[in-house]
This record gives sequence, C-alpha cells and structure tokens, in this order.
Amino acid sequence: MKLFILLLVPFLWAQSPDPYVILDRVDQNMLSTTKILEGKMIVYGKRNTRTITFRSYSEGIDKSFTEYLSPAREAGTKMLKLKDNLWIYSPAADRTIQISGHMLKQSVMGSDMSYEDMMEDRKLKDVYYATVKGEETVDGHACWILELNAKVKEVAYEKMKIWVDQQRYVPLREELYAKSGQLLKRAVFSDVQRFGSRWYPTKINYRDVLKKGKGTDFIVTRLKLDVIIDPYMFTKAALRR
Amino acid sequence: MILVWKLAYKNLIRAGLKTWLNALALSFAFVLIIFYNGMIDGWNMEARQDAVEWDYGYGHLRNAGYDPADPFSIQDGHGILPEPFRKDLTPVLVWQGTIYPQGRMMPVLIKGIEVNQETVKIPSEILKTSTAGYPVLLGRKMAESAGLKKGDPVLLRWRDKNGTFDAVEATVVGIFETNVPFVDGGQLWMSLKTLQEMTGLHDEASFYIANEAYVPEPIDGWTFIDQETLLKPVTDLINAKKYGAAIMYLLLLAIGLLVIFDTQAFAIFRRQKEIGTHIAMGMTKGEVIRMFTAEGAMYSIFAIVLGGLYGTPLFIYLAKNGISFPVSGDTMGIIIAPTIYSVYSAALIVKTFLLLVISATLVSLLATRKIATMNPVEALKGKAL
Amino acid sequence: MIKFIFTGLLRDKSRSLLPILVIMIGVFLTVGMTGYIRGFIEDFVDQNARLQTGHVNVVTKAYAQNESLMPIDLALLGIDTLMKKLETDFPGYTWSPRINFGGMLDVPDESGESKKQGPVMGMAVDLLSGKTDEINRLNLHTALAEGHIPEASGEVIIGEELARKLDLHPGDKVTFIGSTMEGSLTFRNFTVSGTIRYGVRQMDNVIMLLDLKDAQALLDMENGATQILGYSKQGVYFDEEAARTRDAFNKKYAGSGDQFIPVMRSLSDEPTLGYYLTYINSFSGLMIFILIVIMSIVLWNAGLLGGLRRYNEFGIRLAMGEEKGHVYKMLLYEALFTGIIGSVFGTLLGVALTLFLQYKGIDISGMVQGGAMIMPNIIRAKFSPDLLSVGFIPGVAAMVIGTMLSGIAIFKRETAKLIKELEI
Repeated sequence: MKLFILLLVPFLWAQSPDPYVILDRVDQNMLSTTKILEGKMIVYGKRNTRTITFRSYSEGIDKSFTEYLSPAREAGTKMLKLKDNLWIYSPAADRTIQISGHMLKQSVMGSDMSYEDMMEDRKLKDVYYATVKGEETVDGHACWILELNAKVKEVAYEKMKIWVDQQRYVPLREELYAKSGQLLKRAVFSDVQRFGSRWYPTKINYRDVLKKGKGTDFIVTRLKLDVIIDPYMFTKAALRR
Repeated sequence: MILVWKLAYKNLIRAGLKTWLNALALSFAFVLIIFYNGMIDGWNMEARQDAVEWDYGYGHLRNAGYDPADPFSIQDGHGILPEPFRKDLTPVLVWQGTIYPQGRMMPVLIKGIEVNQETVKIPSEILKTSTAGYPVLLGRKMAESAGLKKGDPVLLRWRDKNGTFDAVEATVVGIFETNVPFVDGGQLWMSLKTLQEMTGLHDEASFYIANEAYVPEPIDGWTFIDQETLLKPVTDLINAKKYGAAIMYLLLLAIGLLVIFDTQAFAIFRRQKEIGTHIAMGMTKGEVIRMFTAEGAMYSIFAIVLGGLYGTPLFIYLAKNGISFPVSGDTMGIIIAPTIYSVYSAALIVKTFLLLVISATLVSLLATRKIATMNPVEALKGKAL
Repeated sequence: MIKFIFTGLLRDKSRSLLPILVIMIGVFLTVGMTGYIRGFIEDFVDQNARLQTGHVNVVTKAYAQNESLMPIDLALLGIDTLMKKLETDFPGYTWSPRINFGGMLDVPDESGESKKQGPVMGMAVDLLSGKTDEINRLNLHTALAEGHIPEASGEVIIGEELARKLDLHPGDKVTFIGSTMEGSLTFRNFTVSGTIRYGVRQMDNVIMLLDLKDAQALLDMENGATQILGYSKQGVYFDEEAARTRDAFNKKYAGSGDQFIPVMRSLSDEPTLGYYLTYINSFSGLMIFILIVIMSIVLWNAGLLGGLRRYNEFGIRLAMGEEKGHVYKMLLYEALFTGIIGSVFGTLLGVALTLFLQYKGIDISGMVQGGAMIMPNIIRAKFSPDLLSVGFIPGVAAMVIGTMLSGIAIFKRETAKLIKELEI
C-alpha cells in the first residue's frame, strides 16, 4: 500500500492531476447528505471580540436551518435557507422576515461574511473552470493550488484560488478575487479532524482583506455527519417553533 | 394738479431737516426691501445657474426605472437609448461601489459621464487626458470626507451587472470645486466608457443631460424631466426665505409709514390757518385734501431719492463684490455659493417703488380725513381742531 | 406736583392719548420685531441644538470622523461613568444621552407578512425616567399631532409624514429592522403611541422617537449612546462659554491614542450653525439699530406734535407769568410720564406678541411647498429679557428728547407778541 502511494505520487506530479478529480474528491470528503454542526463564530470587532454559538442542520447544499444559542441577545434567532430564499426569525419580535435585495448584503451577525456569501450553494465545478497551478506546503501539509475561473456570468467572485490538502482532500486556504485580480477575501482552514471516514477543518478564519481587522473565526465544536434530520426542520413553520 | 404737486414740494422743502428725517425713516424700508430681495434673487439666480451648469442642464432624460431619490433603483434603472434619440444629450451611468480610503469602508455612487461633454461643468476633460489607469474626479466635499487628495490612489470595489465583484486601484486625477451638493457628496466621477466596461453595461446610461438645443420627444422607457421641474425644489427653498423676510420689512415699512401719518396729521393741525386761507381763497376741500395727500406721497418720493443716494453705492457694491458667506450649504443639501452677488431686477425696483408710493399716499389720505369735517372759519382762526 | 401732571394728562386726552398711542405702537413694533428677528434667525440654530447638536456634545473621536455614516458601532460606551464625570466637572450644563440610528420599519398584515416597509431615522432620548427635560426640549407636547407621547417601554412616536406613508395610526404595531451595534440583524416590535409634526420635512418623513433604554436594548448598546448632548442651564447658547467647556473637556482626555476617547464639540463647531450664529449677531444687531433710529424719528415727531399742539396753551401760561423754564420742565416731566406709560404698554404688547409667536408660532407651511429642508415651516419669535429694554429705553428717550427739542420753541417766544397771537 505504502509502496503504491510512493509510486503514485511521482506519477501524479508528472501528469499534473486532474483538477476536477480533486474537486470531486473534496466534495466527496466534505459534502455529506446531512450534517448537524455545532459551533461558534468569533467576531473580532473594532473594540471587542464576540463569540456567538449556533447549531445548524443541513441537507445537501440547498437546505439549512441554523439556530443561534448564545449570547442571550442572539439566542433563539433562527435562520432558514431553502434554495434562493432566506428567512430570519427573531424571538424578540416573534416575526419571520425574508431577507432579500439589499438586505442580503448585510453582514451576518457583524462578521466579515454577508448573507449573500452564505447563500452561495452551487458546486464549484459547475461554476468554475479549474486548473492546477502548482503545489505548496501549508501548515506542513502538501497542497495543490487550484485556480478557478468562472465559466458562468452570475458569480460573485470571478476567480478563486484553493489550496487543497493532497492527502486529506480538505481545503486549507481559499482566496477570492475580483475580476481585476484584486484579492478581496481570504479563508484559512485549520485544525483538520477526522469524523468517521471524512476529514473536516474545525477552524476557519474568514476575512475581508480590504477592511482593517482580524476577520471572523468559525469553530466547529461538534459535528455529526449523515444523520437523519426531520424534514419539518426545513419548513418555515419550524422557525417559530 | 401740477399746482398741487408744486405746492406740496415747496412745503416739504421748506420744512427742511424734518422732511429729510421723515424721508430717511421711510427710506430704510425701501433700501432694506431692495437689499434683501436683491440678495435672495441673487442667491436664487446663482443657485439655479449652478444647478443648471453642474447637474440639471436643460433637463434630464431618465430611464424609467431610475429614481435619483431611491438608491435601490440604481441596480435596474439603466438602459440603452436608441441611437436616433441621442442628439444633444450627455449620457451618465450611475452605479454603486465602495471605496477603501485608509482601510475605511465608504459606500459611493459612481457616476460615469461622457468625457467629451460640454453640457455640464464636471471637468470631464481631465479624465480624457489622464494617463492613470482608472482616473476619477471628486468634488471637494467628498475629497475632504474621504481624506483624499489629487494624485492619491484609492481602492474601488464594485459589482458588475452580474453581481461579480471587481476592484481596482483608481487614481484621483482632479478635485473640483462646486456649490452643488448633488454632484459632490458621496460621489465619484469617471469616464462613461470605463464605467460601462467595468459594469458590462455597454452603451447603457441611467440618465441623459439635455443641452440647450435638445427637443424632447416621447421615448418608450425614458422620461424627460424639464429644467423647471428639476429646479423647483431649489427655487421653492429659496423662495421660502422670502416669506420669512417679508414680515420683517413690512414691519419696518409700517414704522416708516407711521412717521408719515404722524407728520401729516400734525401738519394738518398746525397748518389750520393755511388750510382756512386756501379755502377762503377758493380752493375746494377736495383740492386741499389732494394737496396734503400729495405732500405725504411726496415723502415716499423723497425717501426713494434719499434711499437711492445712499443705497445705490451699496447695491452696486453688492452686485459687483457680493457678500461672502463663510461656509457652503452642503451639509444641508442646498446650493449656496460662497459669495452671493445681489441681483436687482427692474420688476423688483418698480414693485418696491409702487409699494412705497401707494402705501404712503394711502396713509397720507388717511391723515387728511379731518380736513373734510373742518369748519373753514374756525380753521382760519386756528381753532378747528 | 406729580399728581398735578397726572391729572393734566388724564383730563386732556390730546396731551396723553395720542402720544402714548404713538409711543405704544412704536415700542410695540420695536419689541415685537426684535423678538421676531431673533426668533426667526435663531429658530434654525435652536431647532438644531434641541434636535441634534445640543449646545455642546460629546461623541467618540472615531464617531466624529465618520459622523455622516451614522456609525452606531463607534458609539460611546460606559456612559453612566461619563455622565457622572460631566455632571461634576461641568455643572452649568444638563447632559442628555441620545442614540441616532437608521433602519427600516416593517408593517405586518394580519398573518404577520410584511405589508409595507419604509426607511426610518431612529432617535432615542430619555423619555421615561422622568428625570430629564427631553420631552420639553424636543417640544413633544407641541409637536404631537395624534396620540400620546410614549408612556411605557415598547412605545414609539413617529413623524406624521412617515405615518401617512406607511398608513399607521396610534395603537398600531410595527417591527423595526436594523443592525445592532455589533452588526447583528435586529428586529423588535413597537407600538405606535402617536405621531409628531416638527414642520421640518426632513424629520417628519423619517423620524421615529423612542426611549433610550428601548434603543439600548434594541441595538445591543447596554450603557451606551451615540452622543451626549449638553444644554446650558441658562437656556441660551453662549459661544465663548461653550468653547471654554469644550477646551477644558478635550484637554482632559487628549493624549490617549485611543480612537474611542470621548471628544466634545460646541454648537458653532458645526460649520453651518457657526455661520448662522455669526449671521444672527451681525444681522440682528444691524436690524435693531435701524429700528431704533427709525423709532427715534417717529417718537421725536410725536414729541414735536405734543409740544406744538399746545402752542396756545403755553402762550397763555407764559402770559400769566409762568417761568419759561418751569413750563419747559413741566413739559419734560409730562413727556417722561407719557413716554414711560406708552413704553410700558408697548413693551407689554410687544412681549405678548413675541411670546405668542414663541409658543404658538405662525404656520407658513402652506406657503412653502417642496423641499424645505432647512427652513422651519413655523415662524417663531424668541423672548429674551433684553426685549424689555430694547423698546422701552428708546421709547422713553425719544419721547423726552423729542419734547426737549420741540420745547425749545418755548424759549423763542417773545412775551410781547403773546397777546397778539392769542387774539386770533
């Protein structure tokens, strides 16, 4: 087995691996049919740092339901995403409001991520042409550098670069670029852990590089993959429950 | 009648200093009315002129979806105006973007304007000659609030028509000085061609600025708003000032008229013998009343002459050198030039003149009522009143 | 002797009534107009001080730099401590924390779906603690168009135009949607307790007033405020005093590189208002000067009238052997009396008019169509104690001086001719 890998590596090196195969392997690794994730979001603000905890349920990439658990201020706020629609429920007002239009550009809980960033749910290979641009070691792990260029028009970032761990098929770094090539946002993935047969990064730092600041950390505290989720979870009625 | 005026004139001149003091009191009202209205008219004219020269031109032809008051309309408020309709029009495309001066995030309106235009004073020719990659122009207020100077680079981020992010380092190639806040605050001007390329909106515009020769015709999907309609809020705002001030100088006029009334009522009392004599010599009471009324009315003429004497140099000075205001009205969203040059229309002068003469005549007439009931014999003795 | 003069004045109406009336009208106009000019020009500044800037205000340094963006994330925090400090250090001012913020109002239909939405400008002031004077400062009682001022947490009062656009009436429920200080989306339900009309379109179109505590909860701004406004306890703005306060405060906090240190600004630091203040001082000064000059002419006329009217009377008195000096002196005393009486009534009337305009105002909104952004739609006057003297002193002085000048004629008369004059 080891020998096989040793033989394979120079083979891949020489041939330059198929970028779409890499993307597929990443999807295979990361995309479970269902997922229950508990985590926290650390927002580094101008004057203080806030930690927001949440639990989210998702099925595929179309459906997700997130409930905020703490701090007390955000507890009970729920968010439902079904395809292109996003609803937010606030217990303080006991109302569900659909987030649309200009409101999608607002940041999620003060983080560097907008609702719109969160809404993107197409598979990368459906949106981008990919090429392997080389290799680099990130945090001691050999990575392929994938360059993705948009093949469809309706896309927020025309160009992306992804550093994919050659062994675990996990992205370790992601950079989002403007059409002009200007770097706009950067995500750094770390603390990759094993969950059953899958590898999953448990810490992501997401940052708008044009703005001053340290960005936002997403930390996974519990992750259950491929579990059964009640379909009721993905209905508007569940928001008010 | 000429006799009546001559007599009135002689009587007044004979009274000497007192006449001139009375006329002086009335002349203040005269000068003030002209001064204030001249200033407001001057402001109005400059504001209108500025608004026309910088923004409105001879009207705007707007895409039906574009509403400058509604920022959410920018996304869809643009389109291609068919070529045959583009005569005498300067295209402007409006788009949303964000600049990052010193790491601060500032939302801006990007306005792309045809660089060869001569309809408005936006110095678009600088954009044409600049060798910088993405040359932009800023108004002074905008430059100040963003902390940018001429030659400074600034990162500009926007999304094209498909929502794809794009960002470039733009260069501030010029900072223009304007009194019109609608083209300054929160805005960034660049070449129309560049903005069309940046957004992918080829050949499109949000609105067109008409020049003098433009003849509006109905075009599907586009609405023409003429200059007067565009100017209405500007004019209304300034005219509002007139109403407030009117009360001020009408009061002043009232005091001036009080002086006349007072003087005339007194003159009639003191000159009973004279009135008696006039009647004894065959003048009718009506003629006497007319004479005294003419005297009163003549005060207004004297006031105008006197006001003209010291007012004219003042007015000329104000029309030539203006009054400087230490700040501009930008923060209030109004157009106010740093220096306002007064404008005196013939209508203003004639109106003020008539106002003064008529009101002074009426007041004098009011003061002469007693003559009608006067017993000429008693009057001759000076004991009628 | 006073009694004698008095009786004379009372019995001879022509001696008293007319001059008093003239003086009264003159003084009335002077006082009323001065009050009006002050009110007219100061109204804008005052309205701004009450609504937005205070006589002095404290914000964070970062907020001051980005004020146009209304950045609630740069608000002052820990205002309890700061308020205490301000109260001890500057006891001449009353301090009021406020929060200005933007957002959207969402009107739900019966099923809770959005029916109408519109942008709002939130303004949070202390309405409920009962410890502050904010309700009067914002003229809420006068501005109230419908309903009542918020009496409990969860109640808001909105601009009349906004209410009309969103079809809202007192008692209706609305949801505010906006961002907290930290950037989270926030919504909360409020009950519209009433509507207000300020006569400033810019406000009537978008304003939503609510209690400070409600806003702090809404915006996750515990113990915070975007600004603390200071109002001089004397009620009137004094530029030098405000500048001194500002400098003293800023000196104390300067030096720290922190962008969240509080900074104080005075009303005239706002460039537009600073200009208006200069304008008030120079223009109203000039107007008042012109007025006094004209009034003096009017009153001098009145004095002449009084003096010459009694030509015959003086003739008889002189013929009866009264000293010329005595006649003159008596005349001046009379003038003093009539002057005082006329001025007192004139001043009273003028002040009454001023106070009427100050509290009621004349609504000129009908005349002002369109974008009246800076022009208050209501004409107001302003009472200040010096109004009591601005007409009074010139009134009395002009009457006396007028009489003095006209009375000189007494000395010119030759006793020998008196009988002849009286014969006619």
